[in-house]
Amino acid sequence: MLFQFEGVTKTYGSVVALDNLSVTAPAGAIGLLGPNGSGKTTMIRSLLGLTRVDRGSGQVLGMDFKHRQLDIRRAVGFVPEDECLFPHVVGVEFVTYAGELVGMSTKDAMQRSHEVLDYVGLGEARYRKVESYSTGMKQRLKLASAIVHDPQLLILDEPTNGMDPRGREDLLELARDLVHNKGMSLLFSSHLLPDVESVCEEIIVLGKGKLLTEGNIQQLKQLHNRSFEVRLKADARPFAERLSALGCGAQMRDDSLLVQIPEGRTQQLLWEVAAQERVQIRNLRPQRSTLEEVFLKALEQA
Amino acid sequence: MPIFDQGYQHWKGHLSGHAWRWLAVTRHGVRIGMQGRVFRAVLLVSLLPAVCLATALCLWGLAERKSDLVTTIVQFLVSAQILSPGVVDDPRHYRLEIWTLCYNFFLSVELTLSMILIVLVGPNLISQDLRFNALPLYLSRPLRRIDYLAGKLGVIAAFLGLSIIVPCLLTYALGLMFSLDFSIVTDTYRLLLASVAYGVVIILSAGMLILALSSLSRNSRYVALFWLSIWIVSNIVSGVLETTQQVQRRNAHFRQVHLAQQTQAGLSREERRRRMDALRAEQEAQMAEFETQQLEASKSDWRPLVSYTANLSRIGRQLLGTDACWEKLSEVQPSPMRKRFVAQWSGPRYPWYWSAGVLAGLFGLSACILSLSVRSLDRLR
Repeated sequence: MLFQFEGVTKTYGSVVALDNLSVTAPAGAIGLLGPNGSGKTTMIRSLLGLTRVDRGSGQVLGMDFKHRQLDIRRAVGFVPEDECLFPHVVGVEFVTYAGELVGMSTKDAMQRSHEVLDYVGLGEARYRKVESYSTGMKQRLKLASAIVHDPQLLILDEPTNGMDPRGREDLLELARDLVHNKGMSLLFSSHLLPDVESVCEEIIVLGKGKLLTEGNIQQLKQLHNRSFEVRLKADARPFAERLSALGCGAQMRDDSLLVQIPEGRTQQLLWEVAAQERVQIRNLRPQRSTLEEVFLKALEQA
Repeated sequence: MPIFDQGYQHWKGHLSGHAWRWLAVTRHGVRIGMQGRVFRAVLLVSLLPAVCLATALCLWGLAERKSDLVTTIVQFLVSAQILSPGVVDDPRHYRLEIWTLCYNFFLSVELTLSMILIVLVGPNLISQDLRFNALPLYLSRPLRRIDYLAGKLGVIAAFLGLSIIVPCLLTYALGLMFSLDFSIVTDTYRLLLASVAYGVVIILSAGMLILALSSLSRNSRYVALFWLSIWIVSNIVSGVLETTQQVQRRNAHFRQVHLAQQTQAGLSREERRRRMDALRAEQEAQMAEFETQQLEASKSDWRPLVSYTANLSRIGRQLLGTDACWEKLSEVQPSPMRKRFVAQWSGPRYPWYWSAGVLAGLFGLSACILSLSVRSLDRLR
């Protein structure tokens, strides 16, 4: 178990940031989704013991987040959303200092900072002043400073905001590598669903401080038994019209056709119609919800 | 074939406990501070008074032993009226007083140099962290706000300790070595404790004040200007207030003498000369009386409280017992000159706890400002 919340409520004046939130997250890569003001940042701060909750209890890596905040922060690496720097230092000093703040000796922190800077791809820029780094480099620098002490849990808060596609892909690749090859658990908070989907196996969706849905992404993107995505070699319109005439729902998408088969019929119908229309089916697969659909559906239900 | 890229490796080292976490912030601040050339130069200059103090204590140690090495120097100091013959005749009797005054002069100079050191290193301490939004980086690590502030205060303490407390300790040891008389420890250990305590007062007061100012702005230049205004402008205002009061008192006091001088018209030369002599003697007496009155008036004068450094000086004089030393040294002066001697050399005599109150108030205000400005991550945007 990575972390667990039980009936956690946190209010800021009249604003309810977390509303009786109960959630359990397994080890691995967890995506934290939710619209603005849904309580994602408050949840992360509660995890780190940076904010005092009004009610409820919880644990992070088996430690009570109300009483062992410093121990939790020692076992966790956090990459904040905002642009933030220790000023007037070069890259390697930045990461060394981050290590020292966690409790590493200067020698260990220095040695380790060289390793992690190489790992995140900032080896060449390690002796440059951090103020001169680009946005992508700053994000990687923050990642390096968050993993310098080899945390069990890494929390990334909107890590790809404002990054160019190349930098974004590099950062996601690093996150994937840390989770899948290095055994680090990850809590990935982002608005960008493709980013979450490319890194995480599980998601937690929050809305107005409440848990809207949680679970394995593949399971949430459930298969639809009567709905198929069909790609044809030829023009799909006659094929779609023929299916409509037989009582099927047929909807054109970008380069495919989404077909709803009526009760009592099977996908064999598609092959029969294709044969009759003399068109070749290039691709046929049951429709699967996208993460975006899962997310929007969860919000609608709320 | 060597492996150049090992990728990510797990780390199995040891993490220290939380108690000394602030020390990492201090070490980092000291490293950053020492990068400035001007600052390093001023820090070096601030050590020069320590050399003078050490020299003075060593010379006094040799003078106590009646060493031939310092005979010429002692004679010179006596002829230049820097030392009284009475003091030189029995140097051991005035050991504590001479040591105290040496430390007092040293600490007065260091107080000024400390203000310069602080203006060079202090403004950046928190304002730059606010400017570069570094607080989330600090507070999301196992570091409490109090650790962060203690670490920043530690930077000031490190530099001021190096220029004030360390020289006090080293010169004390050097003075002991040159006197070769270990009764000096029983005579002067209180002085050592007092000078260290005074150093701690300066560090805590000035450190908290500059941290509070530094937390008020993201631009460290404004912080530096604010600090200079607290230091220099408060000194000027206090000086103007004191001088104005002093001039008014002087004018009131000497008005009668002037009136007497104006009534000399029409007198014979002999009569005028006789009257002038009498007036001169009267003037001397009036001056002595005026200075005594000044000394008395300074016991209830609040004007020096306006100056930040005057308050620190007053606490320093109280801790070191400087005024008592001047009193004792006045024993070797001719009897009529004693009060004047004390009035001339000792500083304002208002109650020391007034200054302690002002400094405590500033300390409290600084703590409040820091508490509001350096907010926990809970209240950060």
